Amino acid sequence: MKEFKHFNAYSIEEAVSLLGRYGERACIIAGGTDLLGKMKDAILPAYPEALVNIKTIPGLSYIKEDGGMLKIGALTVLSEIAHSEVVRSHWPALAQAACRTASPHIRDMGTIAGNLCQDIRCWYYRNQNNRFSCLRKKGGRCYAIKGDNRYHSIFGGSVSGGCLAVHPSDTAPALIALDAKIKTSGRTLDARDFFEVKPVKTTVLKADEIVTEIQVPEPAAGTTSAFLKFALRKSIDFPIVNCAAMITLKGDRVAAARICLNAVSVVPYRAAAAEQVVMGKSLDEAVAEEAGKAAVSEAKPLEHNKYMVAIARTLVKRSILACVGR
Amino acid sequence: MSTHPENQTARALELLDNLKADMSPLKEYKHIGVKGPRRIDGLAKASGQADYTMDVQVPGMLYMRFLMSPYPHAKILKMDTGKAARLAGVRNVLRFDDPEVGKEEIIGKVAGFFGSDRPLSGVAHMEGELVGAAVTADSEAIAEEALALIEIDWEERPFMLDPVAASDPAAPLTFPERYIDGNHWNRGAYDELAHGDVKKGFAAADKVIEFKFSRTANTWVGPERPCGVWKWNGDCPEIWLKHQRVHLPKSRISQWFGGIPMNKIQIHSLYQGASFGGWCQVDWNLGPLWCAALVSKRTGRPVKYIFNRREDFFGGSMDEGVYFVKVGFNKDGSITAVEATLYQVNAIWPVFNPVLHLHDNTTIPHLKGQCKSIWVNKGHTVPTRCEMLPPVLTQTMIFDRVAAELGMDPIELALKNDGAMGHDMAWVNEEKKQRGFQVRDSLKECVEKGKAEFKWDESWHKPGARKLPNGRLHGVGFTWAHEWDDSCGSGEFAIRIERTDGTASLLATGADNGVDAENTYCQIAADEIGLRLEDVHYNPQQYVGFYRMTPDSSTNMSVNGWAVRHAARILKEKILESATGPTALTQRGGYQPAFPDTSPQDLDIQDSHIFLKSDPERRMSLADFVRMAGESGCFSTDEFLGVRTAWSEPLFASSYHVQYGAYNPVNPRPRFCRQAHFMEVEVDTETGEIFVTRIVNVNDVGKAINRMSCEGQQYGGSIMGVSRAKFEEVVHDPVTGVMLNGNLIDYKIATMQDLGPVSTILVETGMGYGPYGLIGVGEDIGTVVPGLMAPAVFNAIGVRIDDFPITPDKILKALGKI
Repeated sequence: MKEFKHFNAYSIEEAVSLLGRYGERACIIAGGTDLLGKMKDAILPAYPEALVNIKTIPGLSYIKEDGGMLKIGALTVLSEIAHSEVVRSHWPALAQAACRTASPHIRDMGTIAGNLCQDIRCWYYRNQNNRFSCLRKKGGRCYAIKGDNRYHSIFGGSVSGGCLAVHPSDTAPALIALDAKIKTSGRTLDARDFFEVKPVKTTVLKADEIVTEIQVPEPAAGTTSAFLKFALRKSIDFPIVNCAAMITLKGDRVAAARICLNAVSVVPYRAAAAEQVVMGKSLDEAVAEEAGKAAVSEAKPLEHNKYMVAIARTLVKRSILACVGR
Repeated sequence: MSTHPENQTARALELLDNLKADMSPLKEYKHIGVKGPRRIDGLAKASGQADYTMDVQVPGMLYMRFLMSPYPHAKILKMDTGKAARLAGVRNVLRFDDPEVGKEEIIGKVAGFFGSDRPLSGVAHMEGELVGAAVTADSEAIAEEALALIEIDWEERPFMLDPVAASDPAAPLTFPERYIDGNHWNRGAYDELAHGDVKKGFAAADKVIEFKFSRTANTWVGPERPCGVWKWNGDCPEIWLKHQRVHLPKSRISQWFGGIPMNKIQIHSLYQGASFGGWCQVDWNLGPLWCAALVSKRTGRPVKYIFNRREDFFGGSMDEGVYFVKVGFNKDGSITAVEATLYQVNAIWPVFNPVLHLHDNTTIPHLKGQCKSIWVNKGHTVPTRCEMLPPVLTQTMIFDRVAAELGMDPIELALKNDGAMGHDMAWVNEEKKQRGFQVRDSLKECVEKGKAEFKWDESWHKPGARKLPNGRLHGVGFTWAHEWDDSCGSGEFAIRIERTDGTASLLATGADNGVDAENTYCQIAADEIGLRLEDVHYNPQQYVGFYRMTPDSSTNMSVNGWAVRHAARILKEKILESATGPTALTQRGGYQPAFPDTSPQDLDIQDSHIFLKSDPERRMSLADFVRMAGESGCFSTDEFLGVRTAWSEPLFASSYHVQYGAYNPVNPRPRFCRQAHFMEVEVDTETGEIFVTRIVNVNDVGKAINRMSCEGQQYGGSIMGVSRAKFEEVVHDPVTGVMLNGNLIDYKIATMQDLGPVSTILVETGMGYGPYGLIGVGEDIGTVVPGLMAPAVFNAIGVRIDDFPITPDKILKALGKI
């Protein structure tokens, strides 16, 4: 790795100030599990001039229930969320997502905010020494379109319709399904509005903006949630497809449903069509199957990733059924 | 020191005779075959204290990094290294056109990083090839930064990635500097293998089938990146090298710089962060070392070359390619003929013919196999994991196809065709007798044990016929092969009894590869000499010469085991002769022997004690025996004071073993030991996921010396096998030829969570050519198990998938789901 400046920030204000000073030439580092790999491989055209370490900011690692919601500090590591009895009992989709992320070692280092803010997975974008100057690097084209796109978007692209790289977060779909909010140093956003596709950017965060807290509302009565992940390996792997669902039942009928897929599109993909299918219905295999089909009805698979459509359909079906214990 | 003539003769015969059973095994074993000696390297490795070449730091050391080609086939037209050379901290830039870089003869026949015509080439034949320049700097980061400053005008050339397409005479040349008439490398001996007449065999068959299967590249990537350090001590080089066969580079290095005497070259082989037979196997590892040597001479400082993670991905195992197979068989299951052609990718070693195993361990009377080594613009393939991968994979695919065609239990089919070199078991059994082996049916013993453990009879069913309550399809697979560990190689060992405490040190330089071969050698030495196991130690990292064969299965115990045994037996004779005869004469007169009035034949050694066989109470510990001569080192206080005790000469012996083994086309040795493997899978038909729920490995190892090591190979080979069958493949972009997954996230290696329980069963028929009747196990499981997934998946879904790895998209496609 090249040399870079390293600042330990001791308050959010200090971190924001440092980020403001360096702008796009600085990166935030917390767990570092994504950033350091990117730096070692020199995948981007520019190398960060400075890293702003926010692990030194006190009070950003916590899990608590407060004011009718779950609050998780931005620096809370994934293993704590995965093992939290509170999260496991009330927001199981989030606990399951945290539990399935990466490996035990990385879960001990990686933070919830880092998992949301991580960069895209695309083996062209991440090829060493900036080998492919693609759209996400302000380059000319997406190399996956004509290349090997087995792990790319099945719901089309963005950045002028071109980039097909997927967002790989496991916790993002869970938080969207759970209707979470993301609090930053300057505002509070719905999780579903947090992600954005722009060159060298995956979120709406400004250059000097930091995630400080995740807020998840208390589930309504009769609500259950579930998270499922399909990856090639059982550990240390990014999702081929993942899916989180939150279902609220009144009697045996669905009163509310939020279903979100990820790793299938350039941002987490809310399966609104599937939600519509299950609304007002009693859940069984047939309804869940129908919802799965609806979830991928807009899919536009590429040459090498048609299988992802089948898996996405299945995971939507199974996550719905998992919510009702099937 | 003289030894008895009759013993010398016996030893000489044993040394030379590779063709029959062990004629003089021990009558009883104390340490051999025992389960549980703690690994010699265990504590150092588990605690992080073990030193690897990557850890080596030498005062004043510089760091060397290489330029990487961004194109799969390109020539450097113009290169400006000025900016790189001027970067602060850069000490040297070595260019491909510097005269002293030289040509391939400098570093060996198989030269260049990836088969180029020079150690540092101006032409790249694969994306990622290390070409053009090497930058040496104060740190790895500075060297890396300087590489980015090198400006190059490239001439991009057309490239090919598919071996079948590249074999077309009209295809663009992929390596015109070497293969000017097409992309096929005709290497001779291993290209063709045949016996009988396949036309006759097909004509005699009730049915003939043809099929094709393929295997993409899988690579060797290890935790420790390729690296080496060159340091000049005057005109004597001292080298640290990550390498599997360190004697090979030393031999090459002796030809460098106009010739360096071998006794001036010190080469260290520390713990190895795994290479699986890949990168550090062969001469082309020497390109970067040669560059480091040159720059070390230029700068007067030690130079360490280091590759990055991605650069360890270039190259793969020898089974990469496309296989075309034709099989004739009769209704009773007898296979009459096989013809197979393999379009194999970038083999720089002799490729092992796809029908080799069928020749080695079946009755099939008519065989014809052909290997076409096709050069494409990807990395080399070498004996990563094992050179037996192509024939083992072919055998598995053929036997499962034929069994399915006949609706026959594949185990029954295996037993029906078990034999050797086209002969039936009657012939094989006669061979066993002639060679002094007991006659046992190894395959039958293996399958019976495996069937019982696996509950095969209840598990096996018609393809696609069993759906489980969880909705998945259930499948089981079986395959078999012979065991190997008797290819070719040589090994040298010495054993020295230490002064003062009488402990024994095994001496041999060789690479670590994690299979606990170290303990195994000690177990043999302990039993042969009569020592307690804790009194025997082996430190393979110590540089002592005596090069032993790499402890891979290709040839470990069948060579090194013999060498240790020979040395141990010679040493035991020496100890007993020393104990019975005066061995020193000084001004004060001769020393009394420790056991006066006895001869060596009267004595024996047990539990590190010498004793009189007729009166075991007359005994002396080996420590006491040598202590008298050793406590004062070279200065004998006893002698000075006139105390007459005893004396022993330096107790040291060395020996060796050489074998050409089964690959010898002139006088081949039939293979008698077999292995049988069973796999159970569940297939999720909605996602295409394969769950490996059980594996049973049965290996006839002849004789288990280090039982835990054998079982370790069965566990490790199972994980490696599942990994290669389900996940591992190096992916290249079809448009640019650039490798896409050169990292340990995108190149997926299985973890322990990716397979269910593994059963390990050892059979010991004693029908191996190694000492005590042993044969190897190391490579066998990891080589055989990958192919086993194809039969298991076929049994589950009823559709063939003939393209490895077997990934979810292929399952869903086979099921018509996409």
